[in-house]
Amino acid sequence: MAYAYLFKYIIIGDTGVGKSCLLLQFTDKRFQPVHDLTMGVEFGARMITIDGKQIKLQIWDTAGQESFRSITRSYYRGAAGALLVYDITRRDTFNHLTTWLEDARQHSNSNMVIMLIGNKSDLESRREVKKEEGEAFAREHGLIFMETSAKTASNVEEAFINTAKEIYEKIQEGVFDINNEANGIKIGPQHAATNASHGGNQGGQQAGGGCC
Amino acid sequence: MMTSVPPRKTWWKSKKTVKVRRSYSTFPSLNAWEKFRGLLPVDGETNPGVGLGVEEGLLCQMVHSPEFNLFPNSVVFESNFVQVRRSRDWKEIYKASNTMALGVTSSVPCLPLPNILLMARVIWHQGQSQTWNRPSTVPSINLKSILPLKFVELQIWDHHERILRLRTVTEKIYFLKLHPDHPETVFRFWIRLVQILHKGLSITTKDPTILVTHCLVPKSLCSPGGKSELVQKNSKGLQPSESLTHLMAQGESEALSQIFSDLHQQKQYSSSRSEKVQINKTSSEKATPCEDSIPCTCDLNWRDAFMFGEWERENPSGPQPHSLLSTLAASSRPRLSLIGGNSI
Repeated sequence: MAYAYLFKYIIIGDTGVGKSCLLLQFTDKRFQPVHDLTMGVEFGARMITIDGKQIKLQIWDTAGQESFRSITRSYYRGAAGALLVYDITRRDTFNHLTTWLEDARQHSNSNMVIMLIGNKSDLESRREVKKEEGEAFAREHGLIFMETSAKTASNVEEAFINTAKEIYEKIQEGVFDINNEANGIKIGPQHAATNASHGGNQGGQQAGGGCC
Repeated sequence: MMTSVPPRKTWWKSKKTVKVRRSYSTFPSLNAWEKFRGLLPVDGETNPGVGLGVEEGLLCQMVHSPEFNLFPNSVVFESNFVQVRRSRDWKEIYKASNTMALGVTSSVPCLPLPNILLMARVIWHQGQSQTWNRPSTVPSINLKSILPLKFVELQIWDHHERILRLRTVTEKIYFLKLHPDHPETVFRFWIRLVQILHKGLSITTKDPTILVTHCLVPKSLCSPGGKSELVQKNSKGLQPSESLTHLMAQGESEALSQIFSDLHQQKQYSSSRSEKVQINKTSSEKATPCEDSIPCTCDLNWRDAFMFGEWERENPSGPQPHSLLSTLAASSRPRLSLIGGNSI
């Protein structure tokens, strides 16, 4: 399917926080309670619409386990957006965010949009990390923040789409050099011809799209 | 869906430097070449690997496309498989139109062994040849995963049925039956690949007879005689896949080189109409003085530029920085190790 832009995302965070489940919920709209441990990278893709433009999200779901960590680092570069995920029921996954963030900042381009996600919000009774703590961390480090539930699909669409909107806005503002593919943005064939003249229209409405 | 296809590269043109003396004495497919004779594409197709659907295939086109731009200088060896499960007989899990493209490649072209496994789902249109690299209507192909080969075990599970077993360290197991449209030769290449992955090549550290004390390949330079090209390449700016491939070097993964080399040797064989398979390399292949050298070791001064002085063996049991995969093990006594060929 033709698209105006392709944004590369990576999903990072400790093992078991629900990265693959978030991806599955976003691309397939389903929840799989037991998921194989991710090694290397698994891919997902979905088309969304922002400001009337078709945008393809190419999502790289990475391994969270420490033994695969060195490999995960290899995939940061060339990402336009990152979803940094922790589990609200596991304090340790929140405590490790700084390390993940340092890794991401060190190995990715400086303009990468990072969305901090506190996942498993459906497990309120087991919560170990307050929402305010997530918000404070995000504020301190210049991230966007949401709590999600891959199980109930709560805020999952919003997390992916809001990240895309942020990237799109940066494109409009000229922050991203869209001709440099190292920024994780590619211009689709339909858009390449008109790329030079795009204006400063910021924000826009989003609508979910079908899977690619 | 694959939306763009990069310019096609001819493999032997992109291959620049990796030359080692080889012995084909244990390579079963040489006999298969006899059977393969006559199956070579006749018109407009000069590369038998492409004709067999194992080279420059759909998977390769996809990962090299601008959309992924992964491992752009590395050859991909690939085939089309049908995922099956065991019952009384092997049963297909998905509809016939739904296949899996499986391929191996290298994150850095000059690695002696492939280190990356690629898996993609392919949905074909009705009536399409499911092994043809350039179908008139492009099937739907979705890259599913990239797995480091050190976390994967490939086995020939059922030779007669041409079934591979793919097992990951997380105990996920796939049984993959080579697509019936592939000729027997292709399965022999997979057998060969499995052998290489298990036993290594004599230039790799899996061969205990080679004493490796240092990595002899710097991150940024591993193309003998190709330094200027490399500098030019890197000066074009960062590419998305650059961190995967580090600083791309010219050359090819040696194991893939051997497999593809056999393909191209067959091409020579075919054209010469020789009645006997030539085991030794032809004189034309011995033209360069570097033939006997270990890949990427021509300039030992490079070792000064290493970020990782000590070679670490590929060992799934221990953590290993991915960046080490960009280094190439080489023997401290390459000449000795290569005398008498490179049999596995």
